[in-house]
Amino acid sequence: MNCEEARKSFPLLLYGELSFDEEERLEAHIDECAACREALARDKALWRELDSAELHPTQDLLEDARAELKSRLAAARPMRESFWDKIRDGFSIHFHFAPGLGQVAGAAVMLALGFFAARVTPGSLGGAFHAAGLAEPVTSRVRYIEPDGPGKVQIVLDETRQQVLSGSVEDPSIQRLLLAAAKDPSDAGVRVESVDLLKNEPQSAEVRQALLYALQHDPNAGVRLKALDGLKAFAEDPETRRTLTHVLLNDDNPGVRTQVIDLLIQQHDSLRQRNDAMVSVLQELMEKESNNYIRMRCQKALTEMNASVESY
Amino acid sequence: MVLQVTVAHAAVRMDESELIRAAQQGDERAFEQLVRLYDQNVLRLALNLLRAPEDANDVFQEAFLRVHKNLHTFRFDCSFHTWLYRIVTNLCLDLLRKRKVRREEAAVVETGEGTLDRMDSVEETRAHGDPQRQLMSRQLKDRIQAVLADLTPRERTVFELRHFQGLRLRTIGEVMGTSEEAAKNCLFRATQKMRTALGDFV
Repeated sequence: MNCEEARKSFPLLLYGELSFDEEERLEAHIDECAACREALARDKALWRELDSAELHPTQDLLEDARAELKSRLAAARPMRESFWDKIRDGFSIHFHFAPGLGQVAGAAVMLALGFFAARVTPGSLGGAFHAAGLAEPVTSRVRYIEPDGPGKVQIVLDETRQQVLSGSVEDPSIQRLLLAAAKDPSDAGVRVESVDLLKNEPQSAEVRQALLYALQHDPNAGVRLKALDGLKAFAEDPETRRTLTHVLLNDDNPGVRTQVIDLLIQQHDSLRQRNDAMVSVLQELMEKESNNYIRMRCQKALTEMNASVESY
Repeated sequence: MVLQVTVAHAAVRMDESELIRAAQQGDERAFEQLVRLYDQNVLRLALNLLRAPEDANDVFQEAFLRVHKNLHTFRFDCSFHTWLYRIVTNLCLDLLRKRKVRREEAAVVETGEGTLDRMDSVEETRAHGDPQRQLMSRQLKDRIQAVLADLTPRERTVFELRHFQGLRLRTIGEVMGTSEEAAKNCLFRATQKMRTALGDFV
């Protein structure tokens, strides 16, 4: 190492970003070179001075910022797009409620389930599907109020109506609703039910994608297990295997990881061949896994594949 | 001290994912708690990068409003800390780039009610004792301020994240959407400029 290389490394040394070997080489050079020792001492002094330039917000500034954020969040809350709003946006029909509202027609009341019902009416589905008529509003919420001339006011209401829909799970419209419900972040129970129904239809590419998504991203372990159940028949599919491997290495629920490793190993046994990618996944798992059962399954599989239980 | 910090971080993380999931389900109290975990650090980061309290507050507001709006898209692919810092540094970078176009703002502004020091809402590490030392310290801080203003927005951000926030270069790369190597090169350039400009002070 020469002086130029050594001095270039000083910032990384001071920030603790050098590897053990790099630090050893640098220290060996510094031991031999008085000029670099002096230069390093100067850099250390400079670093200490730079520390003194750090700014800290006063408590007042912090409290003001917190108060402002609180009021801005409160103001933003009613306008926040709900999950169903987004779903609604994907459909083409718009309910314009009460023509008398005139100027505020753009913000007219749109219905959630009622909206879907309007789109998937029996006529549009051609048979197998049954939808009851629109019911009276179940809940109403004032969306906004604005003056409407002297002594008058306009009030825009959001109303939710319930409607019972029934039909075959294979019906594309029913499936579309189930696929949407499988991603409803507000209700894990609805997601469990939806995924439970969808898992019986994994031959549909759209359904399989939804199951893969739920397995990887759903925060509820019950939903992930249902999704996994539906994907069992497709464990040989490369995309499904990739997802299973990712879940095995990253899911925080040991129950999910246990089912995944059982599935992957069982599927591997049926192929009866050594798979280098599988070996590498299992070795990585051995390094991080804390669950004894999973470690045991993993170790057994590696031994059967004549692979070492650790990667070096 | 280092050990205590590490343990505290681990404890925060355990609660954090639960808070995020609850906030994603619309639990506003969980969101408020999540904000509390990070709001001081976010304000400090923005303040050090922008060196102007009102700009720091603007970034603070915008960052958490964006988090509130987009939290449902957070999929735990990276740590929440990295995700949040990415939002904050992007906002700061935008502001720093705009400033490069217009003139850097003065620290003191004239208002209808007299002269207002924009840095009044900032606490600095003060030099104690010897008046000569205090004067030197003040001059050095002014010089550092000038050098920081001369760094490019990216150099300034990398330097800030490494020197004051203590982030590893790898994490800085993730926060800034670049590689560890690129972050390292940026840090080299920043520290080299510091050395050149401040070398005669030490």
